Amino acid sequence: MALLNFQETKKLLQKYKIPLCQTEISKSKEQAIKIAEKIGYPLVLKIAPLKIVHKTKINGVKTEIKNEKELKKAWDDLSKLKETEGILIQKMLSGREVILGIKKDPQLGMVLMFGLGGIFVEVLKDISFRICPVSKKQAEKMVKEIKGYPVLVNIKQIIEIIVNLSKLAQKQKKIKEIDLNPVIVNEKKALVVDAKIVV
Amino acid sequence: MRNLERIFNPKSIAVLGAKSEPKSVGWGLMKNVLNGKTKRKIFAVNPNKKQVFGIKCLPGIKSINETIDLAIIAVPAPITLKVVKECCEKKIGGLIIISSGFAERGEKGQILQKKITKMVRQAKIPLIGPNVLGIIRPWINLNASFAPATPATGKIAVVSQSGALINSIIDKSLLENYGFSTLISYGNEADLELSDFLWWLKQDKETKVIAVYLEGLKNGKKFMKIAKEVVKSKPIIIIKAGRSKRGAAAVSTHTASLAGNYEIYSAAFKQIGIIQVETVEQLFDTAKSLAWQPKCKNNIGIITNGGGCGVLTADYCDELGIKLAKLNKATLKKLAKSKKMHFACSKRNPLDIIGDALSVRYKIGIEALLSQKDIYGLIVIQTLQIMTEVEKNAKIIGRAKKKWPKKPIICAFLGGKITKKGIEILEKNKIPNYPDLKRAVRAMKVLII
Repeated sequence: MALLNFQETKKLLQKYKIPLCQTEISKSKEQAIKIAEKIGYPLVLKIAPLKIVHKTKINGVKTEIKNEKELKKAWDDLSKLKETEGILIQKMLSGREVILGIKKDPQLGMVLMFGLGGIFVEVLKDISFRICPVSKKQAEKMVKEIKGYPVLVNIKQIIEIIVNLSKLAQKQKKIKEIDLNPVIVNEKKALVVDAKIVV
Repeated sequence: MRNLERIFNPKSIAVLGAKSEPKSVGWGLMKNVLNGKTKRKIFAVNPNKKQVFGIKCLPGIKSINETIDLAIIAVPAPITLKVVKECCEKKIGGLIIISSGFAERGEKGQILQKKITKMVRQAKIPLIGPNVLGIIRPWINLNASFAPATPATGKIAVVSQSGALINSIIDKSLLENYGFSTLISYGNEADLELSDFLWWLKQDKETKVIAVYLEGLKNGKKFMKIAKEVVKSKPIIIIKAGRSKRGAAAVSTHTASLAGNYEIYSAAFKQIGIIQVETVEQLFDTAKSLAWQPKCKNNIGIITNGGGCGVLTADYCDELGIKLAKLNKATLKKLAKSKKMHFACSKRNPLDIIGDALSVRYKIGIEALLSQKDIYGLIVIQTLQIMTEVEKNAKIIGRAKKKWPKKPIICAFLGGKITKKGIEILEKNKIPNYPDLKRAVRAMKVLII
């Protein structure tokens, strides 16, 4: 099993109109500072791993970076971690965290998952599944099916991402697993903050 | 799709591996197959026997001078290949391999099974099994299995990956009032698969509802396509085994770790429109309801002679999303005008006709509610009081069913020994009764469109 790198991941999501939160990759600290100024604080810094890891488990994510000083510190810490492609710099967003994903089943093909993110997915397993292709109508049903439905906002854009992710999975046969986790949803937008695509 | 008519409606059967020693599989098969001897020709094949059950035993299938529609093989696994070859040469109409010792028993068995699959497919002979109990079709007196009994006729079809479970289902059904159109134990699916059987049952006139016991699918995509077509005309209910996550492959995403086999199957069932249940009891509770009652829109009435039971039932309805109709003025007027209702009668839905209700109150209540246009179905609850007229109540419900055939009635006659006679009357009239309120509400739930 191999992991798609950052550029490949970004390209693939763009191709299927799955909106990614503004994210740039930096290879040096100087480059990082320039990108940070362009995007604007507060920011999130995280590693772009070359192999499959749980980023948070190896302290590969730094959130709420408010200024250049904090940025430099975070960059130094993250650059110590091995087997990375570079360090990702991302606008820090607020909103509800949801998770979307794909798993290839040997019998039924691509399976799409939707659920509330964060602790909800780990502990409460408040999730729903469908076999791809997932229609707009089925997508709406799977969103409404979870217990946390009342706390969700911007259902329309979530449904759009589900349908587009289903299209991606149907077309890209080599994909084994996908995690879009989290996707941050607020009144204005629904953006993928982290994506892991396993082929 | 393949023509399975000669398997499911054979004019002649040969039992290969027929025996007369009691308690052997070959004996069980002969005993059951011979029950239909007035409907079709039966041949016994076994090179080591002269006679079985008083009929001449032939050394091989090719010794039979007539056309054979269905051959049932119950010989030891190692010699099946030879026997299957002869069946293919004989150009029989279909094959059931009862014997075990194939793909379920490691690599050697797997190789043997593959050879059989290749052989029957080349000969274009449909095969059920191996490793099965057989098939039973009570309506045409066909019991091509070694099941302990033949069940009653009915509208429920059972398709099961497990053969042993079918035996217990049959035995249980003998104490119940429901029966079966077809029972199929499909085992290893060396040739015919679950979806082939669903497709065949779709056109089977005696089948109204299909109950499935499933462990795993052989061809998921084909199953989804076919099941989607079948559910348009006949409901499918599935109990899926294998919920625990043993032996799950290593995964690297949250999605993959959360999407176990059971969750994925459940998602597929939901998308297709299959009713998934968790227990065997629910499987037949649901099947009975769908086999006997019509579907209806969501707005129902409840009549009870016990206030508490009415409240519980209303709670369950709320939980499962069943709407309770508001009794309209005309209905209330009918109840009042009858002058038979207790002064404490609830005058709303659930209609509580009070514990001392005699049959007349049930009659007035049931007729008033079913006459109301926007009450599409009815749950009738009876608790057993000293004055309760059990059988009379059951007959009243039976008559109401005839008068309003498009409105489903589900009963919860709660009790035991004294209540039993009433339940028999109800179920003879195809009105399902459940000894528990939640089971009754669930049975109503599956009828709602």
